[in-house]
Amino acid sequence: MNKTHEDTDPSFFKPRGATMRAEVRVITLILSGWLIAIVGFQLLAYILEVSYSELLLEDLTFFNLPIQFWLSGQLLPLWFIILCVLFNIWMDRHSEQSGEGSLRFRINAVRGEEE
Amino acid sequence: MAFGMIHFVPILIVATMFALFAFSGLRSRSSQNSGYEFNRSYTGRIGIGAGIASNWMSAASFLGLAGVFYLKGYFAMAYVVGWTGGYVLLLVLMATQIRRFGKFTTPDFIGFRYESDTARNLAALISIIISVIYCVAQFRGIALLVSWLFGIDYIPAVVVGTVLFVSHVTVSGAVGVVRNQKLQYFVLIITFILPLMLLTRKLGYFWILPQFGYGAAIGELQRQFDFNWSEPFGSTTLFEWLALCFTLMFGTAGLPHVLSRFYMVPGKRDARWGVVWGLFFIALIYWSAPAYGVLARLFEARNGLSLNMTGTDAADMIVLSAAGLGGLPLWAVGLLAAGGMSAAFSASAGLLMTGSASFSYDIYPRLIRPDASEQDKVFAAKGFFLALAAIVMALTFQPLGMIAEIAAFAFAIAGNTIFPAFLLGIWWPRANAVGVISGMLTGLAISFAPLLIGDKLPIISQIFPFTSSAFIGAPLVVIVMVCASLLTAPPSPAIRLFISREVHDCPEN
Repeated sequence: MNKTHEDTDPSFFKPRGATMRAEVRVITLILSGWLIAIVGFQLLAYILEVSYSELLLEDLTFFNLPIQFWLSGQLLPLWFIILCVLFNIWMDRHSEQSGEGSLRFRINAVRGEEE
Repeated sequence: MAFGMIHFVPILIVATMFALFAFSGLRSRSSQNSGYEFNRSYTGRIGIGAGIASNWMSAASFLGLAGVFYLKGYFAMAYVVGWTGGYVLLLVLMATQIRRFGKFTTPDFIGFRYESDTARNLAALISIIISVIYCVAQFRGIALLVSWLFGIDYIPAVVVGTVLFVSHVTVSGAVGVVRNQKLQYFVLIITFILPLMLLTRKLGYFWILPQFGYGAAIGELQRQFDFNWSEPFGSTTLFEWLALCFTLMFGTAGLPHVLSRFYMVPGKRDARWGVVWGLFFIALIYWSAPAYGVLARLFEARNGLSLNMTGTDAADMIVLSAAGLGGLPLWAVGLLAAGGMSAAFSASAGLLMTGSASFSYDIYPRLIRPDASEQDKVFAAKGFFLALAAIVMALTFQPLGMIAEIAAFAFAIAGNTIFPAFLLGIWWPRANAVGVISGMLTGLAISFAPLLIGDKLPIISQIFPFTSSAFIGAPLVVIVMVCASLLTAPPSPAIRLFISREVHDCPEN
């Protein structure tokens, strides 16, 4: 192993190989959906509160729940489950395609270490 | 809810539930060889999910969350979102990769990845600190329940609770009870949701899904009692909400006992789908917990009791109070007490055993007695278990706050230390031992700063609230780790090759 290998180390921001690049892309998508939903709902509740005060938030209900209770308390956990399911479906399909490849590289890697 | 008297029926229900778990544990012992603390008989993805959920469920979920709702309204939603959203982080960034390292504990992982015994010992020490603080939250729950069941004061109840807990672990260990996590989860969820259905049915709300039905109670509180739940950020700021929420999420992906579920799952697909089931089972509790806080407020308003009750002891027992005030039969209140007790006992047992294992296998033979035999280590583990229980008991006499707040503090420490160490350990091969050690030390300093110097420097408590310090803290620790790693020599080529090939399946060039 020489020093140039440092430049080819894979990382989240510098993925290497088709498998890792695709995986990092899907992780970025999932985490964006996660972050936007969490921060977005709170900003929405905050803006509604400061702009319209109680008047609007009292009337905005869903299944009898004030809208912000429903969005954070019911929808967000459900959204997290949906994100996890989407990630898993993608990973399942993806690892079926690249399953053989990754096994081959792992065997090579072990050999490489032994040498 | 009556305090100061013995509640025989609930005590009987609690005892019956523990007997049921012990009986089922003894029956399954003959078919497997695992020890008390870990049931390796995974049966499918739902089984893994129930294991994750049962391992997760503690007094903080069962009792604490409803208490925060009762006192702080919408602010408590940060707990719901934080304690569920963390699993997304865990799944996409860590769950499958951790398995590929082939290590079985957090100190092992950090010691192997960063090739440093110092980092490994520091991780072991942090795991023990996290276990102890998380356990204080559990012991507070146990003490409050014992206080109600036996009609005694809080301080003696802490001692009685500790004695009951240590006896329970000792007897279970001696006769070889295997924890049946699936059974435990399903019993817990029934004891939590059945009384809630009874309550909402009694009120004439939509009882089949009480998770939605309690909305009517919020409306009634607003219309009839002028009690306003509609100002989400009325008493707390948006920053405080987000800081707590993200701290809990980072902590979820950094708590040693949560991560421990992913070291040895049989297949990576099962590991991933197990997380989805686990998250669903956990969400079932969190969809329901706010209802107890809201209903307790409603019953108090209807009975003409003051709405501004700020007693934290009463708030932590609000799940039982809601059932009592709502006129449920004593057996239903007893079910809730039994569920809370069982969640707190199993969480404490798991945590203290992990803590004492960290001590006896990582710290004791490496730092204290290098020539320790296996028997010495077992003896040290037992002694340290008792010592930890005593420390937790002492800290529970004067707890830092409510059950959920103490638990959040443990999450903040995990989010500031273990989470960045795992995140960079998996995703940035250049991270080295100097980086992780300086990062974890910075994380510890950030976590404890609000408690130690928060009074003198109020700005510290504002930026790093003690329950929510990882929101700003974890990114800071990542920056420290990156800078320290870049300023020192890279880790060995062997470990970088391992991460590239084994963990991320990268091609050779």
